[in-house]
Amino acid sequence: MQDAPVISISALTKRFGDDVIAVDDLTFGVSSGQVCGLLGPNGAGKTTTLRVLLGLVRPTSGGVSIFGTRITPSAPVLGRVGTIIEQAAFVPYLSGFRNLKLWWEAAGTKWPPPGLDRALDIAGLGPAIHRKVKTYSLGMNQRLGVARALLGNPEVLVLDEPTVGLDPQEMRSIRRMLKDMGREGVTVLLSSHLLTEVEEVCNYVVVMDRGRLVAEGTVADLTSAGTRTAYLEIDDVDAARRVLSAVPGVRSVADAPPGLAVDLDGVQRAQLVAALVRAGVGVETVMQRHRLEDAFVGLVGEETMRQ
Amino acid sequence: MISLFRTEMSKQVRRPRTYVALGIMVVLPAIMTIAVKFGGRADRAEVDSLFSIARQSGFVMPAAALLFMSRFLLVVVVAIFAGDAVAGEATWGNLRYTLVRPVGRARLLAAKLAMALLFVAIATLLVVVTGLLAGGLAFGWHRIDIEFTGFFSLHKSSSQLLFDLAIASAYVAWSMTSIVAMALMVSTMTDSSNGAIGAGIGLFMTSEILNAIPQLGSLRNGFPTHYLDDWRGLIVRQDSAAGLLHGALVQLPYLAVFLAIAFWWFKRKDVLS
Repeated sequence: MQDAPVISISALTKRFGDDVIAVDDLTFGVSSGQVCGLLGPNGAGKTTTLRVLLGLVRPTSGGVSIFGTRITPSAPVLGRVGTIIEQAAFVPYLSGFRNLKLWWEAAGTKWPPPGLDRALDIAGLGPAIHRKVKTYSLGMNQRLGVARALLGNPEVLVLDEPTVGLDPQEMRSIRRMLKDMGREGVTVLLSSHLLTEVEEVCNYVVVMDRGRLVAEGTVADLTSAGTRTAYLEIDDVDAARRVLSAVPGVRSVADAPPGLAVDLDGVQRAQLVAALVRAGVGVETVMQRHRLEDAFVGLVGEETMRQ
Repeated sequence: MISLFRTEMSKQVRRPRTYVALGIMVVLPAIMTIAVKFGGRADRAEVDSLFSIARQSGFVMPAAALLFMSRFLLVVVVAIFAGDAVAGEATWGNLRYTLVRPVGRARLLAAKLAMALLFVAIATLLVVVTGLLAGGLAFGWHRIDIEFTGFFSLHKSSSQLLFDLAIASAYVAWSMTSIVAMALMVSTMTDSSNGAIGAGIGLFMTSEILNAIPQLGSLRNGFPTHYLDDWRGLIVRQDSAAGLLHGALVQLPYLAVFLAIAFWWFKRKDVLS
């Protein structure tokens, strides 16, 4: 085992024309087996970063490497990378299966690739895999994209918003697949604007804003830096508000129908529940709500989030 | 490289549009033959007019078809194929996925160029072969013996005609290559197929229009379509194929410049589609 990161981005800058600076002196690495989330508002430079990483866009300065090989257009090391870049896209008049086959064979690699069965299984298209892609729904299209990304059992996955257009069930199965991949030692770099997705899937997060790195660390690192908010559903909201306001370490209690959102400063959720139960208030659910979102908004600011 | 060419070919072979385009190359020569067969008599044999002597021999029909197709429809079809080669995939969004395979951009473009050239050859061949079959069925595959009102005569054996037709087809197909190169070049620069197709047709039209302006004098010798119809002499006169050298060579500078820019550009371009 070596400690050098599998994906390494160093001092990457990309300008489009003279005015637009999409990525500004960005440096970070993704180690082997890490599932790294790239977070940021629209226009933060996530997609440009991933495109540079795949040899589609040439950096203005700095560089990127995968497995220690500097990435140039169509670099051979890209054969070890599976990818989805924004929307999955295919030759519309060919079947899903034919698209996968031609895409794989274009590089002179033999069909069928290792991992084909699993890729098809995850895509879950069934007999529709032999239908023309132009008859697919957005979700089917995206699932075929996931299958293409998995052909040949890639060691690295670079995914740009991979769950766009999927329904919640499909999202869940893709996320479960990503977690499995991480456990199998596949290195994943995933951009997303869905905080819950990153929180659930990733064990490392890089936050970008306006082309720059704003923060990086584990999900726990980032969330512990911000305020913790607990969300409670109780049977008597008025009584609960009274009780909770009196608990030491509670900074504020706000209405968050149908429950309450409680800002914590040095008090554990269990203590809140204990206090409520002592006062005779029934507690239905307790959760730490949108922790990453709080951290994220703290980092890039409320305004950028809303843009 | 071979595997890339095979995938490019597979994309075209399975594409309905390919058959529509090639179908036009078959249908029009057939319609022309029917029109000549069942139309009225031409008043008199005119020198250089292929249609006026078309009933003499089935070998004339393929030449007539080639002449008329090469003046527009062949150009359009060729421009569509070359112009769509890169831009079409960019429009679908599929181009970026092809390029993240370790295929090499120059090799991908070379495969697409080879496919476009193969298509030009097939389209041209279909025009001539259809004309040959239809013409032969309608008028018989005879040798040509014509006396044009006293001052000019034309005598050609069947095998000579067949050979001349082969040269003419190759010449017309080669004359389309500057259009292919132009359309392919623009295709690497835009995500709009229509723009690239328009550029290919535009090159042809511009060349034709400027070529019709006599004030431009010998400048016209450098236009890519200036010598386009020169092969007619092979069929309707006793010209030798050596006279076609100029027309063949004039394509080269266009090919060199357009293709050099196309490859240079495509290797460097940021793929944002």
